[in-house]
Amino acid sequence: MKNTLNCKFLLKGFSKRIMAITVFLLAQYFIVNAVNLENENVEKQRQDKITVSGSITDVHGEPIMGATIVEKEISSNGTLSNLAGSFTITVSPNATLIISYVGYNTKEVLVGQSKSLKIILDENVELLKELVVVGYGTQDKKTLTGSISSIESRDILTTTHSSLAQNLQGKVSGLQIRQNTGEPGDFNSSINIRGFGSPLYIIDGVPRDGSDAFQRLNPQDIENISVIKDAAAAIYGLRAGNGVIIVTTKKGAKGKTVFNYNTVYGIQQPTDMPQMANRAQFAEMRNDADVNIGLNPFYTREELERQKSLPSTDWYGAVMNKSAQQLQHNISANGGTDAISYFVSFGYLYDKGLLKSGDLNYEKYTFRTNINLNLTPNLKGEINLSGRFDTKNEPSAGYFSVFYGARTSLPNSPIYANDNIEYPAIQGYLNPVPLSYSDVSGYNQTRNKAFQSSATFTYAVPFLKGLQLKGSASYDNNMTMGKSLIKKYNLYSYDPNAATQYIPIPKNSPSKISNSNYDGYTVTLQGYLIYNTLIAERHKIDATLVYEQQQYKDRNSFLMREYSFYTNDQINQASENNQRTGGVEFESASKSYIGKFNYAYKDKYLLEYAFRYDGSYRYNPEKRWGFFPVVSAGWRIAEENFMKELSFISNLKLRLSYGKVGEDAGAPFQYVPGFSTTGGGNYEFVDGIWTAGAAAPSIVNPDLTWFTSTIQNVGFDLGLIQNKLNFEFDLYQRDREGLLARRLISLPNTFGGQLPDENLNSDQVRGFDFSISYNDKIGEFSYGAKFNFNYARTKNKYIERGPFLSSMDKWRNGFNDRWSDIVWGYEYAGQFNGHEEIQYAPLQGGILGNTKELPGDFYYVDQNEDGVIDGNDVVPLFFNGTPKLYYGLSLQASWKGFDINAQLQGAGNYTLRFRELYAEVFAFKLNTPAYFYDRWHKADPYDPNSEWIAGKWPATRFVENSGAMYNESSVWRRDASYIRLKSIELGYTFSNKALKKAGIGDLRVFSTIHNILTICDPFVKPFDPEKIEGLASTGFTYPLTKSFNLGFNINF
Amino acid sequence: MKRIQLSIILLMIIFTGCENILDLRPKDKLDGIAMFSDPEGVKLYMANLYSQLPIEDFNYRRDGFNGWIGENMYLSMFTEEATHSEYSAFLDPNNLLWWEDGYSLIRDVNLLDNVIPTLNVSDQQRNSMIGEVAFIKAYAYYYLVKLYGGVPIIDELQEYTGDADDLKVPRSTEKDTWDYVLRQCDIAARNLPSVWAGGERRATKWVAYALKSRAALHAASIAKYGERAAMSGEAVTKLLVGIDKSYADYYYEETIKACRAIMDSSSFTLYKENPANANEAAENYRKLFEFPQNATDEVIFIKGYTLPGSGHDNETTFNPAQTANGWPHPGRMCPNLELIDQYESYTYPGSSAPIQTSTAPNDLTDYSGFNVNKAYHRYDNPYEIFKNKDARLWGTVILPGTQWKGVDIIIQAGLIKPDGTAQILTGDPFTYNGKTYYTYGAANNTGYSGFNLERGNYTRTGFGFKKFLDSATPVVYGYRQGLVDYIDFRFAEILLNYAEAVVESNYMKDDAQNQAYIALNRIRHRAAHTVNIPLTIQNVQRERLVELAFENKRFWDLIRRREFHTLFHSKKRHALQPILDLRVTPAKYIFVRSEIQNSWPATFYEQQYYRPIPGIGSNDLIQNPQY
Repeated sequence: MKNTLNCKFLLKGFSKRIMAITVFLLAQYFIVNAVNLENENVEKQRQDKITVSGSITDVHGEPIMGATIVEKEISSNGTLSNLAGSFTITVSPNATLIISYVGYNTKEVLVGQSKSLKIILDENVELLKELVVVGYGTQDKKTLTGSISSIESRDILTTTHSSLAQNLQGKVSGLQIRQNTGEPGDFNSSINIRGFGSPLYIIDGVPRDGSDAFQRLNPQDIENISVIKDAAAAIYGLRAGNGVIIVTTKKGAKGKTVFNYNTVYGIQQPTDMPQMANRAQFAEMRNDADVNIGLNPFYTREELERQKSLPSTDWYGAVMNKSAQQLQHNISANGGTDAISYFVSFGYLYDKGLLKSGDLNYEKYTFRTNINLNLTPNLKGEINLSGRFDTKNEPSAGYFSVFYGARTSLPNSPIYANDNIEYPAIQGYLNPVPLSYSDVSGYNQTRNKAFQSSATFTYAVPFLKGLQLKGSASYDNNMTMGKSLIKKYNLYSYDPNAATQYIPIPKNSPSKISNSNYDGYTVTLQGYLIYNTLIAERHKIDATLVYEQQQYKDRNSFLMREYSFYTNDQINQASENNQRTGGVEFESASKSYIGKFNYAYKDKYLLEYAFRYDGSYRYNPEKRWGFFPVVSAGWRIAEENFMKELSFISNLKLRLSYGKVGEDAGAPFQYVPGFSTTGGGNYEFVDGIWTAGAAAPSIVNPDLTWFTSTIQNVGFDLGLIQNKLNFEFDLYQRDREGLLARRLISLPNTFGGQLPDENLNSDQVRGFDFSISYNDKIGEFSYGAKFNFNYARTKNKYIERGPFLSSMDKWRNGFNDRWSDIVWGYEYAGQFNGHEEIQYAPLQGGILGNTKELPGDFYYVDQNEDGVIDGNDVVPLFFNGTPKLYYGLSLQASWKGFDINAQLQGAGNYTLRFRELYAEVFAFKLNTPAYFYDRWHKADPYDPNSEWIAGKWPATRFVENSGAMYNESSVWRRDASYIRLKSIELGYTFSNKALKKAGIGDLRVFSTIHNILTICDPFVKPFDPEKIEGLASTGFTYPLTKSFNLGFNINF
Repeated sequence: MKRIQLSIILLMIIFTGCENILDLRPKDKLDGIAMFSDPEGVKLYMANLYSQLPIEDFNYRRDGFNGWIGENMYLSMFTEEATHSEYSAFLDPNNLLWWEDGYSLIRDVNLLDNVIPTLNVSDQQRNSMIGEVAFIKAYAYYYLVKLYGGVPIIDELQEYTGDADDLKVPRSTEKDTWDYVLRQCDIAARNLPSVWAGGERRATKWVAYALKSRAALHAASIAKYGERAAMSGEAVTKLLVGIDKSYADYYYEETIKACRAIMDSSSFTLYKENPANANEAAENYRKLFEFPQNATDEVIFIKGYTLPGSGHDNETTFNPAQTANGWPHPGRMCPNLELIDQYESYTYPGSSAPIQTSTAPNDLTDYSGFNVNKAYHRYDNPYEIFKNKDARLWGTVILPGTQWKGVDIIIQAGLIKPDGTAQILTGDPFTYNGKTYYTYGAANNTGYSGFNLERGNYTRTGFGFKKFLDSATPVVYGYRQGLVDYIDFRFAEILLNYAEAVVESNYMKDDAQNQAYIALNRIRHRAAHTVNIPLTIQNVQRERLVELAFENKRFWDLIRRREFHTLFHSKKRHALQPILDLRVTPAKYIFVRSEIQNSWPATFYEQQYYRPIPGIGSNDLIQNPQY
C-alpha cells in the first residue's frame, strides 16, 4: 500500500530501507561517477542508441528504490531506480539489462522492441535481513534473543484515527490497548505491555515519557515501533519495569525530492447509545415509584393518560449531533544528495466533536524535520526537530456535565421556558443546552506546544575498524496553557401571571476567569562507544557502552479572578477582589551507565548480556544507584545440519531471557526530614484571613528505593514453507518486589504518625503471548493474515497488613498469594415471584429485614445458610474491570491496484459495572434508561389489589426505597468481553501514464471504516464494552465512535 | 586527527559531566526549631492543629468531620430535631468515627510539646504554647472518650524503632480518660491568655474552662445515668466504658466550678439580653448565629470560614427550595413537629406548647391524616397557628407563609375542595370561582418549598430551616461557599451546663441553687419570656433543646444521659401539614398532624452509646460492648 510519501520505499522491512539508502548512496557514488568519466564515449555512441524506461517492483507490487540497472554489454553504462522504482536508461538496441538489488535475485532482461519495461524482482530469502530497533541500537531479527515485537509504518497506517493508540490496537502481540473515551483531544487510551502497567516511551533514541505525548504523535511520521516485552527492557533501567515502546521516525534518503500528500475526511458516530425513557414510559414509571411504596399515585389517572399522549423532549438531540466530522492533511517531502538527506513533514488534524454547538473540538498541527548529514567520510550527523501545536476546546462545564444533562433531563420538561428560545428553562439538575454553548456558559481551552530536538554525531574511528563514537544531545520543551472562563448565565421559569413572566435563576455566578501555565523542559545527553567485529568469520561480537543523563525542570502557575460584571474574557477586565494565584516548580534528574554485549557463533548460538547502572535524584544518596542486568540466549535450531533435511522448516529459534528491571517508586525526597510548609490544615484565626498551615514532619525512610521486577521469558520462533507461515510464542513471568506500602497498617492505630513508604509488597504477573502469520501470493493476488493473542493475570504475593481477627477475616480480606483481579459479590439466585416468597426468604435488608423488597426484586444465595443475606454471604465471583486477554487479527489482500485490510480486535475476562444512571432506576430521581420500563408493575396502578405483571427488572421505585436489588451481583456486574471489527480499509492505486505525464507518481484512493461491528453482552453493548465507566462509574464519558473515512494519497 | 581528538574530548566532557545533577533538594521543607522560634511560624503550625480539632462545625456529618457532600446527614437528623428531606437512614456503627484522625492530631501536638523546652522564646510565648498544647490535647481526648469510652493515653511523642509492640498502649479506664481531659483543661486555663492580641480566634483561658464544663458534664451524666443502659463484657468489667455512680457529684462539681470561673469573670454575658418584644427577641436570636463576630459578649469560641479558603454547605443545603438560587439540592434539613411542639407559648409559660389543630381530645396523638369529620381550627394565614410561640422558634425555623430573603415561603400539603374531598400530596390544579389552586401552593415547582418528594428539595415536615443561615446574600452556586461562622462555645451553653449540674447534684455551695435558677431564666428572658420558671431538670432539658437546637447538643445529651434507646425505639417523627380549606370563603388554612411521607422508623441500639474501636487486630485493644 502506498498511503504515504514513504510508501515508495517502505518495502518489506526496516532492513530493506536501510539497505536501500546505503546502496543508493554507494551505488550512486561509484556508478554515476564512472559514467561521468566516460562521458565522452557515451556522447559519441548516443546517436544509434535507444532510450528505455521501466519500473521495478517486488512481488507485492511495491516499488524498489535504488536497484542497479546496468547494460550487460557495456558494464560502465548503468543507473539506479528512483524512489518510485522507475528508471530511464539509454542503451544499444537489443541490449540486455542486468537488474540487481540487495536482498533480491539478480535478473537479466532483454530490451528488445519494448521501450517500457515492467520488472519484478524476486526476494532472495537467504540474504534477507530484517533489522529491529532495540535498546541503544538495531539488531537483525534473526539474531534477536529478547522478546520484541515490532510494527512497520504501513501496518500502522492501515487504520485512520486521531490517536496513534488506535492505529496500533490489536496489531502487536503483547501490546494491550484500551480506548477509554472517544473525546476529541483526550489521548487517554490505556497502553500497557503484557499487563505490566504503563511502559516507558523512547522516541528516536531518547526517553520521552508519557503515554499522552506518544498518542499525539503523527502516525504518518513514524517509520516503525518496537515493543520490548521482556527483561531486555533492563537496558532502560529504572523506568522500564513495565516494558519499553521505541518509536523511530522516518528519515530521508538520497534522490530526487518526492512529495507526498495524504488527506482523509471522516464522519464519526457513537458506536451505540442507550435509549432513555420517553415521556409515556417515564410517566408510568414515575407513577409506579410512588404507588409501589404505598404513596398516592404521582399522577391522577387522567393526567397519566394525558402525559402518555404528549410528545417527549429530545434532550439528546438538542445537545448532540448524530455525527461529527474529522479532517486530516499531511504533506511531506523526502530526498537528498551525497551530503545531506532529509525528511520533512507537516500534518494537520481537526476533530469537530459531537456537540451540536461545535464547541468541543480538537485541532492539531505537527511538523518534523529529520536531516542526515555526511560531514566527512567518517563523521555523520543527524538533526531531528519536531513540534506539535494543538488546542482542545470544550464548554466550561465539560463534556461530563453536558452529557449528564442530556441523559437525565426529563422527557416532560421543556428545553426553553414557555418554549421561547431566548429563555432556557430551569431543569431538575441542569439544563444541558446552555451548558453546551461556550458563548453562553463559558469554555475551557487547553493549548499544548511541544518541541523536540536532538543532534547526534557518529564518528567511525579510522584506525580501528568497527569502532564508533557517538554523541547525542537533545532538548525537549513542553508548554501547556489552560484558559477557563466560567460564565454566568440565566435559566428561567415561566409564570404567565407574574409581573416578570420569565423569572431568571442565575447559574455559574459569579463569572470566573482563570489561566494556568506549565512550562517544562528536558535535556538529555548521551555518549556511545560502539564496537563490532567478526573474528574468524564465525565469532561475531557487538559491544556498546553508553553514558546517559537526563534533567527535567518545570514551572507551573495559576491565576484566577472573579467578575463583578462580565465584560470580556480577559483577566484584566475581571474584578481584583477575591483573586487567587498559585505556583510551583518541580525538577528531576537521572544518570546512567549502560553496557550491551552480543556474541554470536556462526549466527547460530546467540548470547547477549546487557546492564544498566542507574542513579535517580529521588532517593537517599546512599540508596540511589541500582544495577539492572539481563542475560539472554538464543539457539537457531533451523541452522543445524540435522535440520536441513526438514526443508519445510525455514526458521526455528529458541529464545530465553532473564533479567531485573527497576521502577521508580513513591514521592521523591522521602529521606529528607522537616516540616512541610505546605499541606497542613488551614484555619481562620482572624476574620477574613486564611492561614495556610504547615504540616507536621513525616517520618523519613532513608532506605526507600525503587522496586525491582524480575522478568523471565521463554519463547520460540518458527517459520514454515519459506517463512510464509510464521509462529512466535512467548511464555513469561514477572515478579515484582519492594512495592511500596506503609507499615502503619500493622502498627497500632494509636501511633498517629504517617509512617513513610517502604518497599514491602510483592506481586507476580504470568502470561503468554503468541502470533501466527501467513502471507502468500497467487498470481497477482497476494494475501496475508496475522493473529496475535495475549493472556496474563496478576497475583499478589505479599501485601502488608495487620493480623487477621478470624479465619473469616482472613478468607474475606486476605490478599497474599491470591489473584488480585477478583471482585466479590452476591450470587444471584433469581427474582421474587410474589409477596409470599419475600416473606419466607432469607432477610437481605439489614435491620429492616425484607420490608423493602417487592415482587420482581433480586434475591441471592445465602452462602452460610444463617437466614440473613449480609456481608458474610459475598463470595469471589467476578473478574475485575481490567481485561486479562487481548487478541487481534489482521487480514490483508491485494490484487492489481486493489488492496484491502481488515483489523479485528477483542478483549476478554473482565467485567463492567456502571453506577447511578445506567444501573439504578431513577438515579438522581431524573430520567432513567428505557430498558428499565420492562419491569414488574401492577396491572392497574390505581388499584392496590390488582395483580403483579412480571417484567425483566424489579418494580420501579427510587433508590432509597429499594431493598437489596443493587447488591453487587451478576445482574449489574457484567462480563464485558467483546470482539470488534476495528477497521476495514479498501484502497485502489492508479498508476497510468496520464498521471505520470502530469508528474504524479501514484494516486491511491482509500476508504476506511472504524469500530463498525461489535459482539458482546447485550446489556453492555450500548455503553461500549471497551470504554471505561468513567468518573463515579456513571458512564458519562464521551462515547467511543465508529467512523467512515475517505481519503487519497498522492506522490509527485 | 584533530577531529578525532576533538570528538574524544567532547565525549569525555559528557561522560564525566556534572556528578551533582542528582543532588536536588525538596522545595517545600523547613527545619523545626526555625519554625517555632518565631510566633508567626508557630501560628502556621497552629493552623494545622486547630484545623484538626474535632469541632462539630457546619461540615460535621454522620461520615465525620469535613464530611463530603453525599447524603448530608447531620447529627440533628438522628434526634427529634429534624428529618432529612430525602433519606431515612439512621446512625450505624460506621458513622461518627474519629480514631486515626484523633491520634494523628495527638501525635502532631505531642511533636510541638516535645520542642517547647528547647526553644529560645519569651516566657509569655512559652506559656501560651504550653496552654494551647494542653487545650488541643484536652479537646482531642474529650472527643475520643465521648466516642469510645476509655482510650490509650499517649501523652508523649512515640518513636518507632522497628518494634510495633513497643508502641502499644492499653486503654485507660473511662474515668481516667475523663480525668486526663479535665487536667489538661486546667493546665490550659492556667497558661492561656484571657484574650489574644488582635482578637485572634485561638484558645483562651475561657475557652479552656468552657471545654472543661462541657466535658465534666458529660462525664457526670454517664456516672449518674450509666445504669439506664446496662452493658456487659470485658470493656465493662475493666471499667473501660462507664463510670461508677459515686463519681457523679465530683464531675458535677467540676462542671459547676468551670462554669462559675466564666460566669464570675464578667467577661461574658448574653447577646442582647433585654429585648423589647418577642419579634425583636426572635431577630436578635437569629442574628446571634448569622453574625457571631458581632456577638463577642456571648461568643466564647468561634470557628470561622472565609474565601479564598473554605466555606461550608449550609446555604446551599439548608435554604428552602424557593431561595436556593438554582442550587439543585436545597431543603435538606426539615425540622420535625416534635421540636416545634417543645417550644413554649407566651400564653402558657413553663411547659411545652404542642400544636393543637382541632379540639379533638386525641388531637396530639392522631397522626392518621385528614379526617373530614374533624373540626379543625381554621386560620387566615399559614403561620397564625404559631402565634405566641417562643421567639426562638421564629428565629430557628422558617414557618409556612413567612418571609425569607424577601420571598414568601410557601409550604402547603394540599387543599380541601368545597365539597369536602381532600386533595393532599397529589392531584391536578383545581379551579374554583375563577381561581386556580395548586396542591403545593404554586403552579411551578420553583414557586413553593414543601412536600413534593421530588429530589428531596422540599421539606417533608412542613418546616423550613433558618438558624445559622445568611439572610441577605443570595445562595452562591457551588460547594463550600457558605461563610457564616460557627459558634463552638457560647455563654448560654455555660449557663445551661451550670443549671443542669446544679440541679442534678443538688449543689448548695456558693448560692448555687439561686444562681442556677437565675441562669435558666436569663436565657428565657433573652427570648422575651417574662414569667420565671422553676429550676427543674425537665425545664433545663427543654431549654437546652430549644435554645441549643441544631447546635449538635441534643444528640450528645441523649447519649450522655442514656435516653437515646428509650426515646428512639421504632420511633416515627412527624410533620405538620398546612392545608388550604376551600369549604369556607375566603379560603382558610387548617393543619393536620401527620406522619412524614416515605420515612422509616428509627431505632437506637444500646451498643451505639460507644463507637466500635477500629484496628483491634493490630492495636491489641479491648473492643467496646456488643461489637
